Amino acid sequence: MSKPVLVVGGGPAGLSAAHALASAGREVVLVEKADRLGGAPILSGYARLVPSHEWARDAIGGMVDRVATNPLVKVHTNTTVATFEGDPGAFRATLKDGTSLDVGSAILCTGFTHFDSLNKPEWGFGTYEDVVTTTQVEQMLSTGSGIKCPSDGRAPDRVAILLCVGSRDRQIGREWCSKVCCTVSANLAMEIRQALPNCNVYIYYMDIRTFGLYEGEFYWASQEEYKVRYIKARIAEVTSDGKRLIVKGEDTLVKRPITIPFDMVVHAIGMDPNVDNMTLSAVFGVKLQKYGYIDRASTYSQMSGSSRPGVFVAGAALGPETIDDSIAQGQSAAMAALAQASLEIREAAE
Amino acid sequence: MPIHEKSLIRPENLIEHKDLFIDGIDVSGHWSTFINSRALTDYDESMQEEIAALPGGENIHRCWQCGSCTNACTVNALNPDFNPRYWIYLIRNGMKQELLLDKDIVWQCVSCNKCTYACPRDVNPEGVMKATAHWLELKGHTEKKPSMIFDEGFSQQIIETGKIEDGLVIRQFFARTGQKLAQNWLVAMAIGLAKRLPVAMGIKMGFAAVFHPRTRGWSRARAAIKDYVHEREAANRKALGLPTGEDGR
Repeated sequence: MSKPVLVVGGGPAGLSAAHALASAGREVVLVEKADRLGGAPILSGYARLVPSHEWARDAIGGMVDRVATNPLVKVHTNTTVATFEGDPGAFRATLKDGTSLDVGSAILCTGFTHFDSLNKPEWGFGTYEDVVTTTQVEQMLSTGSGIKCPSDGRAPDRVAILLCVGSRDRQIGREWCSKVCCTVSANLAMEIRQALPNCNVYIYYMDIRTFGLYEGEFYWASQEEYKVRYIKARIAEVTSDGKRLIVKGEDTLVKRPITIPFDMVVHAIGMDPNVDNMTLSAVFGVKLQKYGYIDRASTYSQMSGSSRPGVFVAGAALGPETIDDSIAQGQSAAMAALAQASLEIREAAE
Repeated sequence: MPIHEKSLIRPENLIEHKDLFIDGIDVSGHWSTFINSRALTDYDESMQEEIAALPGGENIHRCWQCGSCTNACTVNALNPDFNPRYWIYLIRNGMKQELLLDKDIVWQCVSCNKCTYACPRDVNPEGVMKATAHWLELKGHTEKKPSMIFDEGFSQQIIETGKIEDGLVIRQFFARTGQKLAQNWLVAMAIGLAKRLPVAMGIKMGFAAVFHPRTRGWSRARAAIKDYVHEREAANRKALGLPTGEDGR
C-alpha cells in the first residue's frame, strides 16, 4: 500500500483534492493552519457564492463535512508543516505540533490572502467607518445583520463599489487582475438592491471582467434587472464632508471631475499571494513566481506540478482563482498525485 | 479625443469678479477664461426613470456606453454633435443642464433604426431619442418652432376631416406664425396655377376650399384617433408626474 498524500490547506481546493483522493481509496493527511476547515469562504464568512448563489456555509460546509467524516482522511487543524524532506514516494513531513508523517506526495492548496485596504489610504479604509470591503459586505449578508453603515447603523441610500482595490496597480506592486472581484461586486450589488430596493448602487470600474458565463448572469443581470449603475472612473480619493462620504475622481466618459456623496463605499479587494508563501516556499522547496504566488512547473504538459517533483499545487496558491476552478484544480492535483503513486508501483515491479 | 479646453469655455460658464485679489494682484473683472467648476457634485437618479417611463425609453438602463449607436447613426455622420450614446449617459446620470445644451438637435433623429440593429444590449436608442424629444417637449424645454406649429395645424386637419386642404394649411400656418399671406413666392405660384390649371381641377379645389369635405365615414376614425392621442398624451404626462389637462396638453 502506497503512502498517504499530504494536502496542505483546507479550503475549496484542498477539500476537493482530499475528497478525490479518498474516493479513489487513497489515505489523506489534511493539514490546516486555522482552527477549522473551509478556507476563505468559511473563515471570511462569505454569503452567497458565485455562480451558484448557494450559501457558502451550505456549499463549502458540505465539502467540509464530506471530508471531515471520511475515515481515509486524517485532519490536523491549528498546525502547519514545519519541515518537508525526501523524494517523490518517500517524503517525511513534520508538523509544528511535533507530529511526524510519511507521505508519498504533497498537494499545496494554500490559497491567497485578502488585500489589506490600509495599503490604499487615499480610498478611506481605516479612516472612515463607512468605507468597508467586499468581505465585510459578505459578512453583513451571511450573518443576517443586514446592509448598514457601520458608523451609525443606518441603511445606506447610495453605495459605491470601487473595483480593482489591490489589483492592477503598479503603485503597490500588484500588476495582476484578481479575476473574481468584478463578478463578486456585481453579485453583491444585486444583493444590496434586493435587500434595500431604494438604495442606488454605483460600481466604479476601469474594465468589467465578468468573464465567460458570468457576463449574462452577473454583469448584464445587475444592470438590466437590478439597475445597478456602472461608471467608468478610477476613483482618486474618498473623503468626507462630515455627514457623508465624498467620492472624487474623473468620469472618463464625459471628461468631468466628480465629487459625489455616498453613504457607504465598498472596496472590491483583490487576492494577494498568501502571506505565508515565503515560508511555504522554504519549507517545501518550491519556487515562487515573480508576484509571489507558487510557480507552476508547466502550463500544458504537467498539470498541477510545482517546481519540485512530487509536490503539486492547486487553487489560488497559483494565482487569483475562482472557487469552482479551485475545486477542479484540487481534483486535477489529486489525479496527478495518484498517477505519480501508480508510476512508483510500476517501477518497483520492474 | 483630447480635452479641448477652449471648448469648455462657454458664455454661461464665465465667472466675473468685481473685487478679486490673488496674492496681492488685482484680477477683478472679466478674464474670458475663468469658468465655473465642471465637477459633478451629485447624481439625479430620477431622470432615467422619467425617460424610461415614456414609450421607447424603457430599456435605457441597459446601456453600457459602447458607442455602437453613435457609430451607426445616420445623423451623426452629418453632425458629430448628434451623439445618442452621450445623451443616454447624460440622462442615466441626471446631467440635465448638459442635455439641454443639445435640446435643439435631439429631435433630428430620422428614425432609420440603424442603431436599433447595431445595439448589442437592445437598448433601442431610436426609441430613447423619441422619448427624449417627448420629455423635452413635455417638460417645456422646447419652445414652439414654426415646424411644430405647421405640424399641429396639419395633423389637426387630418384628424378632423381625414383630408388635407392645402390652402387652409398654408393660411393657418401664416396666420399662426404671424406672417403675411401674400408671400412673393406664394403669389407667383397662385398666378401660375390660375393660368395653367385645368378648369375641372380648379372647380374641385375651389369646392374643397369652401366646404372642407370629409372622408366618407370619417367620424368613427376621428373618434378613435382622438381617443388614442388623448390616451397617449395623458399617459406621457402622468409618467412625468405632470397634470393631465382636458386636451392632454
